[in-house]
Amino acid sequence: MSPTTLKTRPPALVAAPPEENRRRPRLLAWLLLAPMLLWLAAFVVIPTAILAVYSFCERDEVGRVVYRFTLENYRRVFEPVYLHIFWRSIVYAALTTAICVVVGYPVAYFIARAREAWRHKLLLLVMIPFWTSFLIRTYAWITILKQEGLLNGLLQSLPLGIGPLDLLYTPTAVVIGLVYAYLPFMILPIYGSAEKLENAVIEAAYDLGAGPVRAFSSVIVPLTMPGIAAGTLLVFVPAIGMFAITDLMGGAKVPMIGNVIQNQFLQARDWPFGAALGVVFMLMFAVTYWIVQRRGAQMG
Amino acid sequence: MKPSRFLLAAGLLLGTAAALSAKEELNLFAWSEYVPQKVLDGFKQETGIEVNYETYASNEELLSKLLAGGAAYDLVQPSDYAAEVMIKQGLLAPLDPALLPNRKNLGAQFRHLPHDPDDRYTVPYMTGTVGIVVNTDVVKDPIRGFRDVFQPKFKDRIVVLNDNREIVTWALYTRGISANAISKENLEQIRPVVADWIKLIKVFDSDSPKTALLNGDVDLGVVWSGEAAILWRENRKFKYVLAEEGAHQFIDVLAIPVAAKHKEAAHKFINYILRPEVSKLISDEFPYTNPNVEARKLLSPEQLANPASYPSEGKLETFHDIGKLAADIDRLMTDLKSGR
Repeated sequence: MSPTTLKTRPPALVAAPPEENRRRPRLLAWLLLAPMLLWLAAFVVIPTAILAVYSFCERDEVGRVVYRFTLENYRRVFEPVYLHIFWRSIVYAALTTAICVVVGYPVAYFIARAREAWRHKLLLLVMIPFWTSFLIRTYAWITILKQEGLLNGLLQSLPLGIGPLDLLYTPTAVVIGLVYAYLPFMILPIYGSAEKLENAVIEAAYDLGAGPVRAFSSVIVPLTMPGIAAGTLLVFVPAIGMFAITDLMGGAKVPMIGNVIQNQFLQARDWPFGAALGVVFMLMFAVTYWIVQRRGAQMG
Repeated sequence: MKPSRFLLAAGLLLGTAAALSAKEELNLFAWSEYVPQKVLDGFKQETGIEVNYETYASNEELLSKLLAGGAAYDLVQPSDYAAEVMIKQGLLAPLDPALLPNRKNLGAQFRHLPHDPDDRYTVPYMTGTVGIVVNTDVVKDPIRGFRDVFQPKFKDRIVVLNDNREIVTWALYTRGISANAISKENLEQIRPVVADWIKLIKVFDSDSPKTALLNGDVDLGVVWSGEAAILWRENRKFKYVLAEEGAHQFIDVLAIPVAAKHKEAAHKFINYILRPEVSKLISDEFPYTNPNVEARKLLSPEQLANPASYPSEGKLETFHDIGKLAADIDRLMTDLKSGR
């Protein structure tokens, strides 16, 4: 694409379809939508409804759900311990998202601005880790970070005087694991919007007297904001609920909300309380989504 | 996906499922790292029955999935107290003694256990203890019990099972309270003990606590005896100690859920496992205490000398079901792990 061509909007549909044709596409549309709707009903709506019902129930001696209405579970969710854990999960997820933006943005921008032939190769490199199971990659990190591991072996063989670092089973290890797991989910959407960025717009900024910093902050960032917003959602939301990384790389020492919920369903056998935590958790997602969407709309 | 294609795919799936169910199979739901692949292969070779081995990491997880209507399982492997709950709740089918002639190979002390006094529902698989592993290359102090392990100087050098009831039990022992005397008052009493311990612990891991010890990330551990036995086999520097304040044993059993669809295959598998030469294969790979006395005769003197597999202690207490207090334990541990 030459830098001088500006994208033109597709012509708007002016003429409304004739009256008799309106019905048929509707039927067809419903038919085409049916598998998707079925999928949504079976795997989203019904499970969510079950979760919502359980969250107002009690449990019996062994852990079966008893259908007797109670608000006790929600009262417990708002006990300081769990609020504290929610807060900690948010902080970890926010930190992970921030690092992903800082690390992922330059990568995505560089790939998007690279020559066409290179772009696909570079993108492939971002996606290659997905060819291996997530758990195996996490175990690989244990091999790297452990006390007698690859990283410490390397550090100690260098004449830097840096002793063995205590990394595995620390909060640092958890953040490393989270950033590693979610970085591609930040890179890909930012790449998507950076690729659409017109050079002409950047050039116009320079012509109008903006320096590199100004051009970046007032032109490039706002134009790639949809990508950043999408990446933030894709990283932040799953990072809050992650429990495998905190267990494996954090040594299960500091519980995150994902671990607490998992524990209710397995160790504590308190499904109603786990369900209540899940419902509150989902509401939190909805709020996050709403805020990010509104921000995105404002920026646009 | 187009609806027609969707239907086609669904039809194919159904067809495959029908073809699969025609073959004889056995759905085993058991502890992770506990049933050797060799045993499953041998059983298939002899009987043609395919064993689908699904795993869990705690009794609570097993109960949870079974109570949720896990009707698909033909054979489960609860520990004593979980078996007790399952018997009480009518979740287990009575065994047919005629199909289990090899039960005679079990030692007398593993018959008529408190959770199943008439041996109606369960057959012991392996048994073990929970104790302390010391890397004696690094830790030179004598370690005799939990109080010696949980000292400030060993901060961040300790791995323990990620099992809330276990941790609470060890704390109860240090206060001279029995493993089954769990009550709200007793939990309050041990709260400060556990709070102090948690600050010192580096890793919580039930699946493979030996890893952190082998990797050199920690020097002390409170782990399953089988894990300790593997460590000792790897390197004699790993010493196993039953805590002087108190220790308990666990007896993992095989049992058939009432809803099992392949009860006959399940009986066959139990009887197969009770054969001395098969039971020996389990001991070779997972060196817990083998309740099968005929199998023990086949073990090498070295295997029998492993102090973690065959400790000299006499009979130890076992866990009993504590019902809803499990949730209180979870709440206590969540509180304390969060630093409250």
